[in-house]
Amino acid sequence: MKTYWVLVGSFGSGKSELALNLALEKAKEGPCTLVDLDVINPYFRTSERGDVLEPAGVELIMPPFALDKIEIMSLSAKVFSAFSPGEGNVIFDIGGDDVGSIALGQYKARFDQIPPDRLNVLFIVNPMRPTAADFDSAMDTLAKIQYVSRLNVTGIVNNANLSVETDVSHLAEGYALMKQLSEATGIPVWGTCGKEDVLHSFKLYVKEHGLDPTYVGRYQPIEVMMHRSWDKFLKEGL
Amino acid sequence: MAKKLMKGCEAIAEAAIQAGCRYFFGYPITPQNDIPEYMSRRLPQVGGCFLQAESELAAINMVYGAGGAGARAMTSSSSPGISLKQEGISTCAAAEVPCVIVNMMRGGPGLGNIQASQGDYFQACKGGGHGDYRCVVYAPSSIQETCDLMPKAFDTADTYRTPVIILADGLIGQMMEPVELKMNDNPTMPEKPWACQGWDPKGDRPRAVINSLYIETEILDDLMTRLNARYDMIREKEVMVEKYKTEGAQFVLCAYGTVARVCKAAVRILDEKGIKCGLVRPITLWPFPTKDVHDVIAQDSVKGALTVEISNGQMVEDIRLAVNGEKPVDFMGKGGSIIPTAEEIADRVMEIMRRA
Repeated sequence: MKTYWVLVGSFGSGKSELALNLALEKAKEGPCTLVDLDVINPYFRTSERGDVLEPAGVELIMPPFALDKIEIMSLSAKVFSAFSPGEGNVIFDIGGDDVGSIALGQYKARFDQIPPDRLNVLFIVNPMRPTAADFDSAMDTLAKIQYVSRLNVTGIVNNANLSVETDVSHLAEGYALMKQLSEATGIPVWGTCGKEDVLHSFKLYVKEHGLDPTYVGRYQPIEVMMHRSWDKFLKEGL
Repeated sequence: MAKKLMKGCEAIAEAAIQAGCRYFFGYPITPQNDIPEYMSRRLPQVGGCFLQAESELAAINMVYGAGGAGARAMTSSSSPGISLKQEGISTCAAAEVPCVIVNMMRGGPGLGNIQASQGDYFQACKGGGHGDYRCVVYAPSSIQETCDLMPKAFDTADTYRTPVIILADGLIGQMMEPVELKMNDNPTMPEKPWACQGWDPKGDRPRAVINSLYIETEILDDLMTRLNARYDMIREKEVMVEKYKTEGAQFVLCAYGTVARVCKAAVRILDEKGIKCGLVRPITLWPFPTKDVHDVIAQDSVKGALTVEISNGQMVEDIRLAVNGEKPVDFMGKGGSIIPTAEEIADRVMEIMRRA
């Protein structure tokens, strides 16, 4: 039986990066399908990384428009094949905000047939984004996403980051928000994401400051794949 | 304010609000839709007005109205939409109405594609609309720089009573970077005694008239003389340019916007191969940094220069005019929104160096 991962969240919260990393990780265990259901963003899409996914054995289902760079927001009928019986993992990368999550609504009948222990709906949060900066806006987005996607979020994810300038203080800020959100909603914290080095520093920080592991969840290393090679020039004044 | 991770379009919109922009009129087109979307959410929160016009032409005419009434007003679009706005931009220039126009360039001509491009350099810098006018054109290369340029853009527009264009390629609008926004709840606005804000028949002030029709030749000539004097002042005072490792360079790359960042990566690759290469990056495309470009490329140490653009070659003409034949200037670029990689640029520089 397949295990399903649906990644939702605010626009720019880091769903695509997590989707790519999760797909490559799961592909090592067995069959893995990544469904690009982003109907919002024509730039920086998971579909662009077919070059990495396919050699790793990830089956990529993408909308017919994705690589043509045109704006016909239609979804491929092939998406239904992800719900067919089988083994392995299926990861859905969804567009940002409630607008993006609308794409999920039409698959409700299929999602309803998946046993609860096989369906993970993860709400990704990056408090460094201006539109998701605080508890109220995160709660608001969460409610709207659940409403339009017709799915219940099963885990929240701390993906606090400032791109190349991320440090442990950002993850600590994310932790505080995770705790607040989890306490208010009863939804468990699934995990904390970050590049290896930042994640390592955060592990030490958690011990040192006696943070509650319940609100840290699993440590999910992220290898950044959507960036361009010249991003590193930020520090030189560009 | 602590740093935030912002998308270029969002950052431009917020920076405009912080610069005192309270009126935004726009019409959807990719890849700039996030600007009107952000404005529609934010402007009501600060007592401003967002309006989605029925067309690009209507949007720029609303900017003309708001700017003529003395407000800081802005519109944004992407290449085909900017073409539609040209009549209004020309009118703003003639009526001396300050305003800011953002162009998130996509591939053209025609409807083209929706990926990043630099094909509108000629349009922005060499006219665009009809008549004998200029627009100040800023070309940011990062999201932070875009934020920093927004208040400057509004100030320049007000100081010289001219339309100002932010010319960015679609990637600047679509990528996310950490930025620090200078929050300013109460930006200072210049006095605008010329603005149409109601007339007191008992007062001393003459009626304010915003107009672009000057039937009599002498009166039109008065306007043109006034505009020209202003353009000269802009050329003298407003040039912005970045010179990166150009001192004593053997070779010089010339680029603006996103491509300049790729070029910086190429400079690093060349450095590792023992080639001393620099980059000259115009930040204002008009006024063009003619003297700086000349002085960098005409240095004795320089063997040649290469201009790199996401176009079939537009800014390269101004680079060549600046260099005036003193050194060879090559061009590298493609239409179709194809951005060369740092390795391709470095290879091309080495090939040119071998030939020389």
